[in-house]
Amino acid sequence: MAAAVAAAAGSGPAREEDSSAGEAAAPQPQAPTSTPGARLSRLPLARVKALVKADPDVTLAGQEAIFILARAAELFVETIAKDAYCCAQQGKRKTLQRRDLDNAIEAVDEFAFLEGTLD
Amino acid sequence: MAERPEDLNLPNAVITRIIKEALPEGVNISKEARSAISRAASVFVLYATSCANNFAMKGKRKTLNASDVLSAMEEMEFQRFVTPLKEALEAYRREQKGKKEASEQKKKDKDKKTDSEEQDKSRDEDNDEDEERLEEEEQNEEEDVDN
Repeated sequence: MAAAVAAAAGSGPAREEDSSAGEAAAPQPQAPTSTPGARLSRLPLARVKALVKADPDVTLAGQEAIFILARAAELFVETIAKDAYCCAQQGKRKTLQRRDLDNAIEAVDEFAFLEGTLD
Repeated sequence: MAERPEDLNLPNAVITRIIKEALPEGVNISKEARSAISRAASVFVLYATSCANNFAMKGKRKTLNASDVLSAMEEMEFQRFVTPLKEALEAYRREQKGKKEASEQKKKDKDKKTDSEEQDKSRDEDNDEDEERLEEEEQNEEEDVDN
């Protein structure tokens, strides 16, 4: 229980998103569900839709497609964070650094599409 | 690319939360690593969109649909995402169906009340905003209806 309190306290000062648009304050425009297992999407679909529309070849995207892309992006974030953490663990560090991410991108084939895009 | 992916970032707060929940307790993440992951997520969406669009075009469709995205995941070698995504899609469809049925039910109830109000209706013929009249009488039941 102490760990949970520490985690909650730790997430407080880490909030540096004051400068970002107000959307950071409303991450869940969809109707929030009470059951955790049914939590459908945390990423705001409007932002995902904006990304999809940025592609000049895309004409239209259905609501389901946007939703799945949002969910896939969440899974991707989880995956890459965990893979990067493996590298940090080997260095016996408790903080994920940018270089851990770079290592993960180089090491994992699926992340090859990211090479050169994060700079 | 004319559009710069970093201009279309996903909210930092949400990204941070997803990362923290994926990692064990007590593990931190540097600001640079977090913003890099956020950018990576945007690039991922753009790449997935492009792949999905190829499938849509193959199917001679102009609208991206869910199966296009799932096919894109396999194409991008993220097969492990396909099963959880399919489950999420089903849950999403159920919720959408539930929402639709709930709003249709409310509409039906509204219509019923409108019919019984017909006798009192002397002013407006085509009255879309029923709340104003009903507000005085059946405020309790109609409270949820926000148009």
